Amino acid sequence: MLIEFLDFLGSLHPLIVHLPIGIILLTIAIDVFMRNKNNSVQRVITMGWFFSFFSGLLAALFGWFLGDNGYYFESQINIHRWSGIAFVGLCFIIWLLRYINFRFSKSFNRSVNLTTILLLMVTGHFGGEMTHGQNYLFENLPYVQKKISLIPLSEAKRSETDSLFVYEDLVYPVLEEKCIACHNQNRAYGGLNMSALESMVKGGNSGAGIQNGKPFESLIYKRVSFPHDHPKFMPPSGVPLSYDQIVTLEWWIDNGAEKQMPVTLARNDPKIQRLMELQYGLDLREKTYLETLALASPTPEELKPIQGEEFIWRFLNPEQSFLDLKFTKKEIETNDLLKIQSIKKNITWLNLTDCMLNDNHLSYLIDFSNLTRLKIQKNPLVTNKGMEALQNLENLTELNLYGTRVSNAALNTLGQMESLKKLFLWNTRITAKAIADFKAQHPDIEVIAGF
Amino acid sequence: MHCNDQHHHENKNYSRRDFLTKTSLGLGALSLGSLISPVNAYGQSDFLNLLDSSKMKLPHFIPKAKRVIYLFQSGAPSQLDLFDYKPKLNEMFGKEVPKSILGEQRLTGMSSGQNSFPMAGSLFKFNQHGQSGAWMSELMPHTAKIVDELCFIKSMYTNAINHDPAITMIQTGSELPGRPSIGSWLSYGLGTDNKNLPEFVVLVTKGKNGQPIYSRLWGNGFLPSQHQGVQFRSGKDAVLYLDNPPGVTSGIREEQLKSLKKLQNIQHADIGDPEILTKISNYEMAYRMQTSVPEVMDISDEPDYIFDLYGEDSKNPGTFAANCLLARKLAEKDVKFIQLYHRGWDQHSNLPKGIKRQANETDQASAALIQDLKQRGLLEDTLVIWGGEFGRTNYSQGMLKPDNYGRDHHPRCFTVFMAGAGVKKGITIGATDDFGYNIAERPVHIHDFQATLMHLLGIDHEKLTFKFQGRRYRLTDVHGNVVNEVLA
Repeated sequence: MLIEFLDFLGSLHPLIVHLPIGIILLTIAIDVFMRNKNNSVQRVITMGWFFSFFSGLLAALFGWFLGDNGYYFESQINIHRWSGIAFVGLCFIIWLLRYINFRFSKSFNRSVNLTTILLLMVTGHFGGEMTHGQNYLFENLPYVQKKISLIPLSEAKRSETDSLFVYEDLVYPVLEEKCIACHNQNRAYGGLNMSALESMVKGGNSGAGIQNGKPFESLIYKRVSFPHDHPKFMPPSGVPLSYDQIVTLEWWIDNGAEKQMPVTLARNDPKIQRLMELQYGLDLREKTYLETLALASPTPEELKPIQGEEFIWRFLNPEQSFLDLKFTKKEIETNDLLKIQSIKKNITWLNLTDCMLNDNHLSYLIDFSNLTRLKIQKNPLVTNKGMEALQNLENLTELNLYGTRVSNAALNTLGQMESLKKLFLWNTRITAKAIADFKAQHPDIEVIAGF
Repeated sequence: MHCNDQHHHENKNYSRRDFLTKTSLGLGALSLGSLISPVNAYGQSDFLNLLDSSKMKLPHFIPKAKRVIYLFQSGAPSQLDLFDYKPKLNEMFGKEVPKSILGEQRLTGMSSGQNSFPMAGSLFKFNQHGQSGAWMSELMPHTAKIVDELCFIKSMYTNAINHDPAITMIQTGSELPGRPSIGSWLSYGLGTDNKNLPEFVVLVTKGKNGQPIYSRLWGNGFLPSQHQGVQFRSGKDAVLYLDNPPGVTSGIREEQLKSLKKLQNIQHADIGDPEILTKISNYEMAYRMQTSVPEVMDISDEPDYIFDLYGEDSKNPGTFAANCLLARKLAEKDVKFIQLYHRGWDQHSNLPKGIKRQANETDQASAALIQDLKQRGLLEDTLVIWGGEFGRTNYSQGMLKPDNYGRDHHPRCFTVFMAGAGVKKGITIGATDDFGYNIAERPVHIHDFQATLMHLLGIDHEKLTFKFQGRRYRLTDVHGNVVNEVLA
């Protein structure tokens, strides 16, 4: 009962707080602008200080109750609270001094007035920040870029999309900002403690907080998505949850409200994926092997063997670690393949088209572990035997064999390469039937064998 | 160097006092400028690197495409008779375009004076094709067979309403002449993949009439001139003046070029004009092209089934089909940007007859090119684009007859299609309204299209810049957003 009454008084703080402001400003204005002050004017000024003190005392008292109800963080309130109290104290002292007819020197009087106004401004400013938000002072100035309020995800976190969790990184920060001040282990309003997932699921006096998989029956979701004038709408004061935050919450509960639910699950839901991309600046597209691979750039020493005219190469990424390399001469020799051994980790695309490549040559590519795209088309000396060397290329996704002499048996070898996604077999000795069988067996490999 | 006194006559009566009074404020302003320059404010090196693309490491991310074949259909093909099926126009054939659809915007002088704007539904039958169910008219039976490889953008729009500014816009990103063409930007940004051929090759269908095509469309603008497109002509001399004159052997020519290079290097050391280096590289390129060009232009060893695929025309050099075949050969040789031009799509009148001829010339070869690239594995890293500079109106220009109509220029919507590297297959992006006049869904501006093209090649279109006349230019200048829906 008492707590509720104090809360009521607290809510009067914004009302009463403007009384001392008005009174003190008027008092100081009279002091400054009236010349030849006679006794009665002096008494009016003394009275002004008294009323400032008295109304300020009430405002500070109510403010203390308001600050205590848990809607605000201590760090937010601190300066406002103590500068407000200092203001009240100063008013009291000045009134007392004037009351006992202490003689003020002109300069002392001036600095008292100035200090009071400064204190008033500081207190008012920090009070304003609490009610109107951190940037209230400048946000509507023209030429100031408005910040879209995102959930603060650090740059580092945003780039590591795969290791983000919905609860920890997207839901909890919202709860912390909006709910946990009142619903924590020390102060569990309505018996609800939201600082831990388990206690939030358990809920409070009104029942379970979360029903897994049923957002519309979960009290947590219901309270934040009520119409804003609904008596049970949460949070009761301050800025409500945004549309995106509510949708994220709904999606999370809908998918089981697990602590370990990864953000990448959004890939299953285009609407959520779009929201994640727009609202949190996340890039949720599936990453290829290369995009997840961190590799050092080759040294100038390692690049030396490929500076000759027989190679054309360029880097594929700004980190300059992946190489796209093409052999340009009409006939390749073992020596040419030895030259590219020093950078075999870096070669990701390799083009050895139409250069009299044979099976033996292919054995030099056996440990090109980061090779994803290999073009060895139009090499009639390449046969089934060569495929065995390629079998160990565990990250090869694309292999071009058109115009080689591989035959049906090669498909057995190729079918075992797990990373393979695309296979070009036009103009080889592989029969149409064998290709059809292969396609049926490996639906995830796209086989292109002419039209 | 000697100073010519005549140039200094204005300075003759300039006293020390004049100098100090007139420049003190200016010098102050200059030093203030350097004090508050953003370069210092942001930390010198990073900021400069951001602005100077020669210091940027390209590509900016792993590319999907390594080269582009742009089948440019000059004159603006009618999207309403080829791709953008609007049964409403047939339903309301001959009725006026509603005022609410027409709006207030400008029309060309060719049809703005008309008393009536009768809607002209297409005379050609439309059908859905492939698993993707894309609509195609009967004019393009071959392309209709491969719609599942294609990505249609039906909501393209541009600023210009006339051919020259519109082509200049789509090729260079600006309606005003003087900016580098797309191929030049790519050559400048990505360099070469084949030292024996230019990075940017242009093939123009011979013997076509219609809107003119001129070399500034493949010009390098303010970029160094080795990045300009090189036109390969049909016939004996693919590149003009490439062959040695009679009596000059290859050895003599090589000697001559070596000596010339020495002289040019001296000249460059003296005055430092970068165009001298360009000149040297152009001479060297021309020398290498003496062997590489005849080789790539020779189609004698193509098997018959390839000619059958591209159509009968492909045996006739200079036709669109022959150029498509050449484009494939150039792609095999890793030429970065291959630009075809096919003129004659500007059907202001007699559209049904004209468009039938045009479609006939281009349909089979365009489809064949995509199929041929695919079976060779080249479609994996080649982007093929088919489209014109703007669209055509839904109303008839001139008299509308049951079997004849014309269509005027229409920049507010048109269709292009793409296929290949990094592009989604079998989808349609954007849509026009039921009257085919305004865009109803997902507008794609020319600059968005260009940004997407560059994105596919691993370039952030905002980062590839060139400083000219005191500021940094890009292909998309200050515009453009990548169309993410296109990306596979």
